[in-house]
Amino acid sequence: MRLTAAILLMALATAACSETREMQSSIQEVRARHVDRLMATPGVVSVGIGRDDEGTEVIIVGLDQARAQTVESLPASLEGYTVRTQVVGKITPQ
Amino acid sequence: MPHDLGAVRNMLKNAAADLLARRNVVATGVGYKVAQGSRTEELCVVCSVTRKLSVAQLASRDVIPATIDGIPTDVVQTGRIRALQPPTGRHRPALGGISIGHGSITAGTLGCLVKKDGMLVILSNNHVLANTNDAEAGDPILQPGPIDGGRFPDDQIADLTEFVPINFREPEPPSRCPTARAVIAALNMLCRAISSNTRYQVVTLDTEDNLVDAAIATPLETTMVADEILDIGIIQGVAEADLGSAVKKSGRTTGLTTGEILQVDVTSDVDYGGGRTARFRDQLLAGPMSQGGDSGSAVLDDGDNLVGLLFAGSDNTTIINRISHVFSALGVRR
Repeated sequence: MRLTAAILLMALATAACSETREMQSSIQEVRARHVDRLMATPGVVSVGIGRDDEGTEVIIVGLDQARAQTVESLPASLEGYTVRTQVVGKITPQ
Repeated sequence: MPHDLGAVRNMLKNAAADLLARRNVVATGVGYKVAQGSRTEELCVVCSVTRKLSVAQLASRDVIPATIDGIPTDVVQTGRIRALQPPTGRHRPALGGISIGHGSITAGTLGCLVKKDGMLVILSNNHVLANTNDAEAGDPILQPGPIDGGRFPDDQIADLTEFVPINFREPEPPSRCPTARAVIAALNMLCRAISSNTRYQVVTLDTEDNLVDAAIATPLETTMVADEILDIGIIQGVAEADLGSAVKKSGRTTGLTTGEILQVDVTSDVDYGGGRTARFRDQLLAGPMSQGGDSGSAVLDDGDNLVGLLFAGSDNTTIINRISHVFSALGVRR
């Protein structure tokens, strides 16, 4: 009897833990977690949060020029959020 | 009962001088009355005012009556009306959207007026008013900026009050500290000796990210400046911009332009030239709405609320400091 209860309790705890793990972070948290790594990629000049054509929030990585290698090396998504790249050019004070 | 144009004109001919003598009235004319934002078919006398105030805020002699001789009136806020003057010209009083700069730069834009300890001060960028960290409080500020013909002392409009220093990133990340390098060399020898794949490297810690490129200057006399923005008018308040917000700015080079906030929470590396790059975080990013010389422009939303300070951009983007960061960094307010 006790053994059954203990097994049930463990199963419940495991389920609760995996649920916590699956709870999605906000796009702001995800961007903040990865921004340093993304900015350290050659040619990356900006990382922000924007929207795609459907209005969904995405992480947008700005490049100083067209860079096929960098685009290839960047993840297509981070923790469930789409990562888009766009060439913004060199950003200078105006 | 609609009035014909002749009757309204005649009435205005007699009443114009009296209306123009009232506080804030800068123009009178005949036009169609606007009700709830839409033009009606009813002719009326339109009084243009620098600032629209409620009846309670006005002396009874300054209130525009709702009708004069049975003809309705309308009050429209237009701001001050002045002879057309390009933003690169000399303006007294000087207002937002025009050329300004420290004597050692080319020119930037006077953003707007803000208050520091109750005193009116000019807000723009560090790289406009303080020559990118290379200036001292008290340095003369010229309007227009040097490239637009501004000369000291004739065109001095203000003294630099203070600026938020811009932190630049180290151009070479590996540290040059000899002691640290010696320790690392020894550690790496040890790694090799024990056949470890690990190698150590000392790096200079990254400098702190920036939030603003901002500075303020105190006008020599308060009568030399006006609390409005060229082609925009009076700032209605302060607000936070969000993704999708419609924004506008009035700047020295491209004048009045509009855009949309396309990205928020932006971290961006800005190249200040001479190998100096500064990283900014929590910025707003809009589409192309500025060029060189527009730096320092105040950015407003469609309700004319101040939301940001324009400072950088590329061919297809504009980077804007959030106004809340500018206000906290400089201890200023509207």
